[in-house]
Amino acid sequence: MDPQGIEMTGLSVVFDTAARRVTAVTDIDQIVPHSSFVSIVGPSGCGKSTLLAVVAGLQKATTGAVSVAGRPVTGPDPKIGVVFQEDSTLPWRTVEENVAFAMEMIGTPKPERRKRTKDAIELVGLAGFEKSYPSQLSGGMRQRVALARTLAVQPEVVLMDEPFAALDQQTRLFLGAEVRQIWARTKQTIMFVTHDISEAILLSQQVWVMSYRPGTIIDVVDIDLPGERDAGVVSTPRFNELHNRIWGSLQAESMRGFQQQEASST
Amino acid sequence: MTRSSTPSTASRTSSSSHPSPSHPPFTAADDLPSESASAHHAPPDPRRGRGWGTAGFSVGATLALIVALTAFAEIGSRAGWWNDHVLPAPSVIFTELGVLLTERQFWIDAQRTGIEVAASIVFGCLLGFAAGLLFWKVPLLGRVFEPYLVSFYAVPLVLFYPVMIVLVGINAMSVIILATIMAAIPMALNTAVGLNQMPPVYLKLARSLRTSPRQTLFAIAIPAAGPFIVAGLRLAVVYALIGTIAMEFTTAQAGLGYRIRYLYEIFDNIGMFAYIVVVLVLSCLLTVALAAVERVLLRGRNS
Repeated sequence: MDPQGIEMTGLSVVFDTAARRVTAVTDIDQIVPHSSFVSIVGPSGCGKSTLLAVVAGLQKATTGAVSVAGRPVTGPDPKIGVVFQEDSTLPWRTVEENVAFAMEMIGTPKPERRKRTKDAIELVGLAGFEKSYPSQLSGGMRQRVALARTLAVQPEVVLMDEPFAALDQQTRLFLGAEVRQIWARTKQTIMFVTHDISEAILLSQQVWVMSYRPGTIIDVVDIDLPGERDAGVVSTPRFNELHNRIWGSLQAESMRGFQQQEASST
Repeated sequence: MTRSSTPSTASRTSSSSHPSPSHPPFTAADDLPSESASAHHAPPDPRRGRGWGTAGFSVGATLALIVALTAFAEIGSRAGWWNDHVLPAPSVIFTELGVLLTERQFWIDAQRTGIEVAASIVFGCLLGFAAGLLFWKVPLLGRVFEPYLVSFYAVPLVLFYPVMIVLVGINAMSVIILATIMAAIPMALNTAVGLNQMPPVYLKLARSLRTSPRQTLFAIAIPAAGPFIVAGLRLAVVYALIGTIAMEFTTAQAGLGYRIRYLYEIFDNIGMFAYIVVVLVLSCLLTVALAAVERVLLRGRNS
């Protein structure tokens, strides 16, 4: 057992609404080892984001427990960094003020804050844009700002909830490769949620495939591609094999989800 | 007819000094990520330069317009295009104004109106802001009271001035109270709307960082609602001025509005226009001050 990573035991989340009970996530028993990069893929509406919210302490688990770095998660914690799907940059702050924001909120001393802001901006490749406002940046650059803000806090783990979902394919692959490089340098424990199989393979050491509601992990695929990879890896045969395997597990689930949604909407 | 030609200069001044008055609130709130990575990231410095350039241009255009209108009025009046009672020549008005500025009576009126307007702006903004905050924090209150405020918007509150006079008497207080209410309503509505339309992800971010309620309010919610609050501020200032002048017009024993009506009633046309010019200048000054406040509060937002 690795006390430094993320550990989920017997996790389930049930939403009780007036109309019906929805089991969003069930029977999750998984470990994200320290310094590893794990992606979760699944059909839309399978509860990937719910799972991530539980690990982040933003959502209460109905049963089971999560621990991060050996401590049980009881609520939100700045030590658990989250990068959201939506644009969360603050439009009234410059890039450097945005990056420093999280540190300001948790009370990091000013000299330390300044140094870490600078480092984080360089790490995500935004040097030269310190004084720009988010409205002057593209969507991809804004997500980098959000990532830098999270990394600057130096959290135990980083949770990313489809951070590139709103971007176009090229920007996505490009930014994905950068996240991978940042991870290679910082060795931060990362849990990454996506619905894009290629992105998951490109980024991760391990990919978890989630079933449609109630969401549970139905396949764990170790990505044995070379550690140094860039966007070019998508054209290798091994990448295709991995892609096919994950798609195979996912296909049936996606169909099931699609049919259920069709049935409930008619 | 003549009165309406002069104020139009003032309203043009107000709209040209800040670029997009109709929809500043939405520029910041709706900035969804754009698709391409290199689409628009101009380095910040040239655009700031351009911002001052447009400001310079609008100031120049405004001045040119005022000069042109004044010249037109002067020529028209001297050439006898209209009767002197309709609009005296600007040179005559300005001479009268020069005399006024040396009179104690004028400064008493100006001070009275100045204090009334300033007090209504300050109290109206604070009250409206507090109400808007409350509507956001306690959505139930917002649901109950907002519809009334919205319909109050359409009510000419000056109507209640007689009631206020009965309650408080004919003095500065009755004017301040009503003008404060008039200013507070748009401020409250805008603040509430601004806070309610804040992207939910900001509050998720706040939760994930475990910010204190104070931090959430001052570091996130208020700046996020900034453009709406500034729009509310602008309306509040306008309403405070309109309310004050209109109520002085109706019944008062001092103030610029009162003096204009008094001079109108004793057929002192030139004196009346001199006072009208003073009110126009006052509204221009308020507009310029607002534009400066806006520039500071919304820096970086106007992309």
